[in-house]
Amino acid sequence: MKLNIETHGRTTLAIAEGRLDFGAAGGFQKQLEQELGGAALILDCAGLGYVSSAGLRAFLVIARAAQSAGVAFSLCALQPAVREVFDLSGFSRIITVHTDRATALAQAAQPSA
Amino acid sequence: MPGEAAQLPLLTQFLQQFWATAGLPAAGLNSFELALEEIFMNVAMHAVQGGSVPRVELSLARAGDSVTLAVEDDGPQFDPLSLAAPDVAASLGDRPIGGLGVFLVRQLMDAVSYHRVGACNRLSMSKRIGVG
Repeated sequence: MKLNIETHGRTTLAIAEGRLDFGAAGGFQKQLEQELGGAALILDCAGLGYVSSAGLRAFLVIARAAQSAGVAFSLCALQPAVREVFDLSGFSRIITVHTDRATALAQAAQPSA
Repeated sequence: MPGEAAQLPLLTQFLQQFWATAGLPAAGLNSFELALEEIFMNVAMHAVQGGSVPRVELSLARAGDSVTLAVEDDGPQFDPLSLAAPDVAASLGDRPIGGLGVFLVRQLMDAVSYHRVGACNRLSMSKRIGVG
């Protein structure tokens, strides 16, 4: 599991690559929790091929931390298998998901978003 | 093999090899990887609480376009299907952390059954994967 961080204005873009399973979830969560300093945090999931319930738990913890910190948290570019897990678990309703990175960045750049 | 969390990568590899050798469609693999992780980790976590490491046996079988994954362990009797389903409509703040694994397995598989066989727990999971 790899995480590359980019800064776009006041938005932090985290690009995930690999598998978010039991072994990777803890480190992933700690790493992303360090990235709540901007106005928005976008996690690009185009390179994320697998998410288990341990991964979902990490997403939930980060989404809550972002909410308390007043940071707009969203995901983008979910692969079909990850999207399925997201939909089944109801996470699509509690975490904002954009179709692609450009849409997510544009949304985050809006003043009142 | 021992029911320890550290064994998960090896088991996943075993599943992936089975999949590739059988020439099964890649799209169906994710559900089985997830089922394997959720059920195996449940066994491993219970073992940590119980203080002893159970033996876990994994079996994979293909019949036509259906694949069956069975996970057997010699730990204390426990039926993961007896767990209550989480409230998937809860809001971000109300959402409990955890309890999703078995729920996802039930959703992703066509059939899931639990049997106590002698001194072992056996969870069997099947799904049609649409070959061809």
